[in-house]
Amino acid sequence: MNKPQKKNSKFLEYFFNINSLGTIGIFLVLIILLTFFTAGRNFMQPANIRNLLFFGSEFTIIVLGAGMLMIAGEFDLSVGSVLAFCSFVFVRLFAMGINPFIVTIMTLICGGVIGMINGLITTKGRILSFIATLGTMMFWRGITLLVSGGIIIPLDTSGFKFFTSAFIGKLGNFFSSQAIWLILFTVILGLILHRHRFGNWVFSTGDNEKAARSMAINTDKVKIICFIIVGLLVAFAAVIQTLRLGAFSSRVGTGWEFKVVAAAVVGGTSLRGGRGNMLGIFIGAFIIVVIENALVIARLPYEWTYVVFGIIILFSVILDLFIERSRKKVI
Amino acid sequence: MKKSGLSPILNYNINTPIVFVAIVLFFIIFTPNHLFIDLRNLASMGKLIPDLGIVALGVGMLMICGEFDLSIASLIPLCSYVFATFLMKGINPALALIILLPVGAALGFINGTIVVKTGLPSFIITLSTMMFWRGVVFILSRMAPISITKYIKPYPYFEKMLTGTIGRFPLQVIWFVGIAIILGILLHFTKFGNWIFATGSSKGAARAMGINTNMVKTTCYIIIGVLCAVVGTLQSVRLGSFFATQGVGFELKTIAAAVVGGTSLRGGVGSMLNIFLGILIIKIIENGLILMKVPVFGVEAFIGLAIILFVIINNFTQRQMT
Amino acid sequence: MSSNESNSNSKELLRMAGINKYFGKVHALEDIDFKINETENVGLVGDNGAGKSTLIKIISGYHRAERGQIYFEGKKVRISSPKDSRALGIETVYQEQALAPDLSISRNVFMGREPATALGFLRKRVMDEESMDALKSIGLQLRSPNINISTLSGGEKQGVAIARAFHFEAKLVILDEPTMALSVKEVREVFNFVNQLKRKGIAVIFITHNLHHVFTISDRIVVLSHGKKLVDIKKKDTNVDELSEIIVRGTIG
Repeated sequence: MNKPQKKNSKFLEYFFNINSLGTIGIFLVLIILLTFFTAGRNFMQPANIRNLLFFGSEFTIIVLGAGMLMIAGEFDLSVGSVLAFCSFVFVRLFAMGINPFIVTIMTLICGGVIGMINGLITTKGRILSFIATLGTMMFWRGITLLVSGGIIIPLDTSGFKFFTSAFIGKLGNFFSSQAIWLILFTVILGLILHRHRFGNWVFSTGDNEKAARSMAINTDKVKIICFIIVGLLVAFAAVIQTLRLGAFSSRVGTGWEFKVVAAAVVGGTSLRGGRGNMLGIFIGAFIIVVIENALVIARLPYEWTYVVFGIIILFSVILDLFIERSRKKVI
Repeated sequence: MKKSGLSPILNYNINTPIVFVAIVLFFIIFTPNHLFIDLRNLASMGKLIPDLGIVALGVGMLMICGEFDLSIASLIPLCSYVFATFLMKGINPALALIILLPVGAALGFINGTIVVKTGLPSFIITLSTMMFWRGVVFILSRMAPISITKYIKPYPYFEKMLTGTIGRFPLQVIWFVGIAIILGILLHFTKFGNWIFATGSSKGAARAMGINTNMVKTTCYIIIGVLCAVVGTLQSVRLGSFFATQGVGFELKTIAAAVVGGTSLRGGVGSMLNIFLGILIIKIIENGLILMKVPVFGVEAFIGLAIILFVIINNFTQRQMT
Repeated sequence: MSSNESNSNSKELLRMAGINKYFGKVHALEDIDFKINETENVGLVGDNGAGKSTLIKIISGYHRAERGQIYFEGKKVRISSPKDSRALGIETVYQEQALAPDLSISRNVFMGREPATALGFLRKRVMDEESMDALKSIGLQLRSPNINISTLSGGEKQGVAIARAFHFEAKLVILDEPTMALSVKEVREVFNFVNQLKRKGIAVIFITHNLHHVFTISDRIVVLSHGKKLVDIKKKDTNVDELSEIIVRGTIG
């Protein structure tokens, strides 16, 4: 270990933490396995991959934020409900004839405010975040159903070609605007998490909150900001999703809270906080998306997804535990 | 009879009974035609509340020792499925129920063991087991309901014991109250109950005092498993059928009930009487709002809000006391 | 392990006069006078509940005294938060609250005070170099600034926390039970680090239960019992047995 480190590995170490190599490995293995299992069906076909990227972007964007929040030591289970609520807000505002870009900004503000509320309840109300967001999850889902009546509201975006293409336009065969947004967010959040002062505060808050406090880090503020980021990303995902679907549906986002946590965990994020990396979170999200997609393609009944996800979460959580324990033995 | 016991008497949270009385009065006054207090309504509530209530008592007790169990939402239908399967095999329902109890216990044991051996946050662990078992139930049953009325018919006493009525008074209530009393005594008047409080309050201190915190937690999970078996049976006998979607949503409502019942999320604080009242409060709100023609969706929102408000209120009042 | 013979020539650094602290009805600290000079090493001793933690928390800004004054470098000060305390140059190293186990040494040393560009991006090279320098100046040799704290031994962890205080040019460092749960060898290491602090002219308050440790490292010993100051005596004027007698008697009487 006295050799001077090569430039490449230094870059990796700085930006990612070696953890993500494991996650990348799992991802590749998964792709290979799934291709075999669904042989003859359409897994690796361009059409499917394109679909994957579309839907995957929405989900992954949310996971980026949720993962960072988990590193800070908190959870947000309300993402699915807030997704639905923001989608409703977007469609309503849009129908009122307001300029679509302004509508988008208003939706983002809405998401950010909801995130801030989550953060305030957790920190100032001194409630465990998973309970607080369990409560807000029920609350926003209820409100959404209440104001929408549970119906589907279509969205008419004809005449706004530029606007829609900015968010969900297609570029070439595989690429799309969503993908660009996704990569943009990943890079920005990754830089903030791993190379910015705030990121150090996030890690410190999650790893040892008392230490962070005694070093005069305002841990409440750090957490609230992370919650706001989640809210903003959820709102953004709601915009993209609603544009893609062409309508608001009150059932969107159901069950997402668990998948989001699973994705972050599979991506190497510790449930206790203080550990994780943005690349791993990104890959973890894609693993979840790919698995779900493969299950659909393989015509496995939807019920199997529960079993699979349950096992995945348990497995990656226990695996993470082993890695942590074996690392401690190395001195 | 359901006293809060000696040890936590100084910490007895009077918020819950106050809210309980307030809510009851509110709905008595404001439901159209005072429907709330109508005997038929009360009877129907009496049949429904124990489904959630029985298992919520166990969940609340587990929360006092510092852990969570979300998997009940799937253990209930699973136990119900096993019960239905036993019946289809021609087993006497009473016997089936008796065999089911250790099955429930075993499921609880699995949860408990994973939680204590890994030391990982229990809500994630039980979240995954919840998903896993839900998938299992869906796959095994192929989502199809199984009617069990014909298997119960030859045993009228069984059905009467579980879901019968004395006049209008449903027997499920007696089961519910009985279990509440038993668990209440266990929690507040036995050594084991003291261990539960100690483990939840400070695991380190409890360990140092020689309490086997792992055993305490696992036992609480086992108790929940058994209660799930009871509820699974009760519910399917009442409905006359097994449904794969039994128990959906219970995981949140039981936590809500415990929280409204003054149980601290950090563990170490709670009382069986208050948990009992908390269950009633949640179900009464649900029932009352429906009677007042509030759309069902509004109820869900309200419960979410109730959880948050209650935890905040409890946090602040409890802090005044120390 | 030499110690300064007498510190009567060095300037007064911290003086607390007539400190009283109540927790509800409990009189946690009663008329405490405490002072420490520059470069002095004072051992703060007493059984559980004696008030050591409370006194320290007042100095580091977690608690505020109901009565009494605090003077730092001769001037009267108000310490109403950990920030105030740190601004004065007081660093406190608590047991469980010092370091984040999954973060690297470099990130830990600069926790909350990260050197950054105008936009807030970390100056990693500065962090790495300076954290290694800080470790070296207290005599701690470690491989790299990027290894995680969790892989270090107990003594090394204390070293990192002490190096942190050292780096930020503290004038006064408070160590709360630094030798608790450490092996004999690790205790030696920690003593070495503490002596480096002394060599740099940093005053140290060393809290412990262990009288032998206190005698090894401190110049002066202050004993608290039930919120009152029992003894304030120079090491050379007493010995372990006498002191433990006082403490035991103090506890009964």
